[in-house]
Amino acid sequence: MLILAIDTATPVAGVALVDEEKVIKEEFLNYKKKHSETLMPTIDRVLRECESSLTELEAIAVSTGPGSFTGLRIGMATAKGLSLASGKSLVGIPSLDVLACNVGCTDALVCPLFNARKQELYTAFYDVTGEFPRRVSELMACSPQDFVEYALNAAEETGRKRLILLGDGYYPYEDYFRDALGESLLKIPRHLMFPRASALGSLGVEKAKRKEFDNVFTIRPLYVRLSEAEYRLQRGEI
Amino acid sequence: MLFLDVQIQKGWCRNMNPLLILGIETSCDETAAAIVANGRDILSNVINSQINIHQRFGGVVPEVASRKHIENIALVVDMAFEEARLSYQEIDAVAVTNTPGLIGTLLVGLSFAKAFAYGLGRPLIAVNHLHGHIYANFLEHDNIELPAVCLVVSGGHTSILYMKDRKSFEIIGETRDDAAGEAFDKVARFLGLGYPGGPAIEKAAQQGETGKIKLPRVFLDRNDFEFSFSGLKTASVNQWQKIKAKEGYSVHDLAAEFQAALVEVLVEKTMRAVEKFQVKTVLMAGGVAANQVLRDTMRRRAEALGIQLFYPSLKLCTDNAAMIAGNAYYHYMDGNFAPLNVNAYPGLLSL
Ligand SMILES: [Zn+2]
Repeated sequence: MLILAIDTATPVAGVALVDEEKVIKEEFLNYKKKHSETLMPTIDRVLRECESSLTELEAIAVSTGPGSFTGLRIGMATAKGLSLASGKSLVGIPSLDVLACNVGCTDALVCPLFNARKQELYTAFYDVTGEFPRRVSELMACSPQDFVEYALNAAEETGRKRLILLGDGYYPYEDYFRDALGESLLKIPRHLMFPRASALGSLGVEKAKRKEFDNVFTIRPLYVRLSEAEYRLQRGEI
Repeated sequence: MLFLDVQIQKGWCRNMNPLLILGIETSCDETAAAIVANGRDILSNVINSQINIHQRFGGVVPEVASRKHIENIALVVDMAFEEARLSYQEIDAVAVTNTPGLIGTLLVGLSFAKAFAYGLGRPLIAVNHLHGHIYANFLEHDNIELPAVCLVVSGGHTSILYMKDRKSFEIIGETRDDAAGEAFDKVARFLGLGYPGGPAIEKAAQQGETGKIKLPRVFLDRNDFEFSFSGLKTASVNQWQKIKAKEGYSVHDLAAEFQAALVEVLVEKTMRAVEKFQVKTVLMAGGVAANQVLRDTMRRRAEALGIQLFYPSLKLCTDNAAMIAGNAYYHYMDGNFAPLNVNAYPGLLSL
């Protein structure tokens, strides 16, 4: 069950080829945000180097969001184009689920954080005691202050003493998180702080095994936030 | 004898196997896909307009437009094949607009097109949206003589191009601020006439009188091909605020004068370009080229100068993908294909 995984939800562009047993190839690029230029050549390279082609795939996995609006659309438009042309199924996976895969086998509450700009973060809380992370909250966009409050509540409700924060949303508020969370904050090594397409591929394999395919015509990104214009319309400013 | 054989074979191939190009267009607020045979015959032309969505905001919101594009793109492309009664594998190339336009919306079409072309093993062709607009004329008219001066005028652009031959275009002038269609939208919105502003003002102007209210012909005194419509918009707003309380003026008079001022500048600058480049042909394109007053005024001036004027039918004036596939045919013939790392670019000269 071969899965091609495509992730451009954050400044990281990731492409991987994964099956039930192994990661066959993974490309990770966190250098400038030029997904529109790099993504298709990377996909082509990954398939070629593995002497594979779209026809051999079981499905194409794509990170659905939240994340950079444009980044999400580049990844999803690419996945849709490949899927429609090849007839291969799509499996959409929330991008925070992917990042949560970087930590495992701990009873700490895992909190992936993406920088959402406008002084906000995209986040959700995960239980990672099993083989794959289990989301225990909604996907949300909130301020760092609200995040700390929600995270502490979630930890208390589920009886966790430690919290693991990861993702590019961590660094801008590192000092604040240290102050606010003190001893309960656990830090992980830098190389685990970013989403990996291999993890997306693994989640994709699981979803494909369950035959939970997404429809190429109806799948859309999970933005979590409205567009600025829609907010203004809602507030009666337009 | 051999020569003849080749000719026959070519003719036979052309008849039996027309060159089929899928065009994809997402540079603004229309998600569009079309299939055109031999750069000429439109087999399908699907346009998903977001006009009622953007109506609420009084103009196109790039993020909202991008969200609609990613939702609709696969279905719109599939419909283009269904309408043409073709399978995906039957097309020879995929063409897509990659400039100019809204960067976020362009990227949806471009990313999809790259992947779709790659998935089918077909070449990708990147098309300039302005060239596409101009090529809409070649989908409908046979007897276009080049070189030509082209006026591309819509909600997104106001440009004059010098088209030397089928392949070479030079932008000789553009708007410095708002596009003409944008000015129509903004003034219509201010006057409470509705969205889109072009048809709304055109309709209101029919009941009004030009010259009762005086608006400037911006940049007409300048000896170049540049436009500025933001100033005309501001002047319209200021004038209306001054006189709206007075007797004898109606919103229709302002609409008429605004339209006349805008059309006069477009026509005059185009005709100056005709003179400078000594061409016998004018091509108009873009949504504003559907404006009847612009068409009539341009027609009168063209006839007086003894030059040919062409514009596409209404359906091909506004953004569509048939014009993209039409232009792409010439790229295909030249072997001008885009690499997988081709990017999208929002603007050309100004902005
Ligand atoms: Zn246009």
